[in-house]
Amino acid sequence: MENLLATPPDTRPQPPLNSPAAAETPVLQLTNIEKVYQTNTIETVALNRVNLTINRGEFVSIMGPSGCGKSTLLSLMGLLDEPTGGTIAIDGRAVTSYSDRELAGLRNLKIGFVFQSYHLINDLSVLDNVELPLLYRPSLSGKERRQRALAALDKVGLSARTRHFPGQLSGGQRQRVAIARALVGSPEIILADEPTGNLDSVMGEEIMDLLLGLNRQDGVTIVMVTHDEQQALKTKRLVRLFDGSQVG
Amino acid sequence: MLRHLFTLIWNRKRANMLLISEVFFSFVVLFGVGAVLITIGKNYLAPHGFDYTDVWRLQVRAGQGQQMPRAQLDDVLRQVKALPGVRTVALTSGNMPFIFSTNNSTFGYEGNTALANVYDADDRYTDVMRLHLREGRWFEAADDASNHRPVVISQDLRETLFGKGPALGKIFTWSHHGPEATKPEDEFLVTGVVDNVRTANDFAAAEPGVWKRLLPHDTTSWETANVLVRVAPGQGGELQEKIARTVAGVTRQWTTEVRVMNDDRLSKRRYTLVPVVGLSIMGLFLIVNVALGLFGVLWYNISQRRAEIGLRRAMGATGASISRQFLGEMLVVTTLGVLGGLLLAVQFPLLGAFDLPAQPYMLAIAAATVAVYVITALCAWQPSRLAAGIHPAVALREE
Repeated sequence: MENLLATPPDTRPQPPLNSPAAAETPVLQLTNIEKVYQTNTIETVALNRVNLTINRGEFVSIMGPSGCGKSTLLSLMGLLDEPTGGTIAIDGRAVTSYSDRELAGLRNLKIGFVFQSYHLINDLSVLDNVELPLLYRPSLSGKERRQRALAALDKVGLSARTRHFPGQLSGGQRQRVAIARALVGSPEIILADEPTGNLDSVMGEEIMDLLLGLNRQDGVTIVMVTHDEQQALKTKRLVRLFDGSQVG
Repeated sequence: MLRHLFTLIWNRKRANMLLISEVFFSFVVLFGVGAVLITIGKNYLAPHGFDYTDVWRLQVRAGQGQQMPRAQLDDVLRQVKALPGVRTVALTSGNMPFIFSTNNSTFGYEGNTALANVYDADDRYTDVMRLHLREGRWFEAADDASNHRPVVISQDLRETLFGKGPALGKIFTWSHHGPEATKPEDEFLVTGVVDNVRTANDFAAAEPGVWKRLLPHDTTSWETANVLVRVAPGQGGELQEKIARTVAGVTRQWTTEVRVMNDDRLSKRRYTLVPVVGLSIMGLFLIVNVALGLFGVLWYNISQRRAEIGLRRAMGATGASISRQFLGEMLVVTTLGVLGGLLLAVQFPLLGAFDLPAQPYMLAIAAATVAVYVITALCAWQPSRLAAGIHPAVALREE
């Protein structure tokens, strides 16, 4: 596999993840972000001049009614989509003009994703699913990948389920696998799109506790889209969106 | 990544089995058609071993129940030979090149046996057919004194019966199962060796041949005489009519038929080509069907795996690496199908199936392997490009 990063990863010294200095270091900055979906007959404004800075070690939740642009904002933060206007900066570097290859490299190194519907590959074992992001890092050996995947699974309490397949797990366990997959590459930021949306309240609490633990103990930066006010209130900062605009 | 692809394919083995079977059967069909085409192509390019141009086939019939005295036949041949435009004439048997008539027997020499076509030939036969003499000489008057039947044999028969040892002057006979003694006329004295000949059709392989000398003073009366006539270039219907009139001038009871050997060759070629073309068309249709099937299955696969594609993009895959992954998966599946096909195909050269040498089989295996990989790569290319173009944010939202 090719080297996904045309430009070398940012190797400038970063403050320790859970140090006070780290909390003031912006890891993700969105400036005047606009996103407009254009069809032949209609123009839909999904996001309108959104400005948001995510600092290292923060746990930010994004709330708002359905269709207000939460997931679109998360896709833009995750470099899965391009804004119609405005700039996105990761670690202070604007990524506007980055190529597909460079963006893929940044996603792989800096960002972990957790989805509402888990997005696990049913034909791969739990261990193989967790290893997936590391497959796009050709510098890692198979042994290293395996060790890191096992460590990530251990962190989410699923080290006994490595040979299982997603179909053999409960919803909560699947989401734990997805979190392990997001963690395995040691990203600077985890983007979670309604991670408890498909779970009952008990499972939802478990996953929320896991994410809070990762943020508090390991200093992982997390941005979470949620509909659940109670869970949003547990995070350090709450951003509210309404009709594509930031309202709080 | 290769290990990851194998893991994916193994875990989806039930879904991939259909694809692997399709590849396997395509390989087998391509190998079969390839082996036939390579064999006949190779044969076609090989020399015939004789010159069929400007050779006519003259059949003289005495009439049902009638006999043809040899002296009278010789008179006819002399008169035909004297016609302007006729170079030479030769008496032979009915199994002339490019017609549906064969006469073969099994011969033996010191434990070696071979099946060979048997042709009767007089002393002028090689002047008409222009066989390529490799060793020894054609029949001549000196052979009248021979106690054995003089024969000329083809090189392939020479190799089978005598190996690397000398063949000229050797005496062989029919392949016997019992210890009974042979009669002198059944003992064949090798006077010459000619190049291999391909007399059946343009696409047939060379077959061993034995030319037995027709004795000039043979008093046997025949019902039908088969005569080969070499004419000057450019001769046509007028000379054919003259030949027929010449025969009729000797005796009105005899009938004649004159055919051009090249016409026989072309007629036999058409007849031989029909099944080959049919087989090729069937093979082509099958391959087109398989290609469309593969294309459809891959297209469907990609539409079913949009979420996975979106996920992989989110995890750090580029569009190009997604494209390569799908191409890679198809090539791994192809390899599994081809390996199954290879396992079957290599049995043919190993067992020497259909008495063919290994070379056409090996070439057919190589051609089928290349063709299957090219077909699957072409079929996978467009769907893989499609996969690469899937927008990750859209694909992830769809589920």
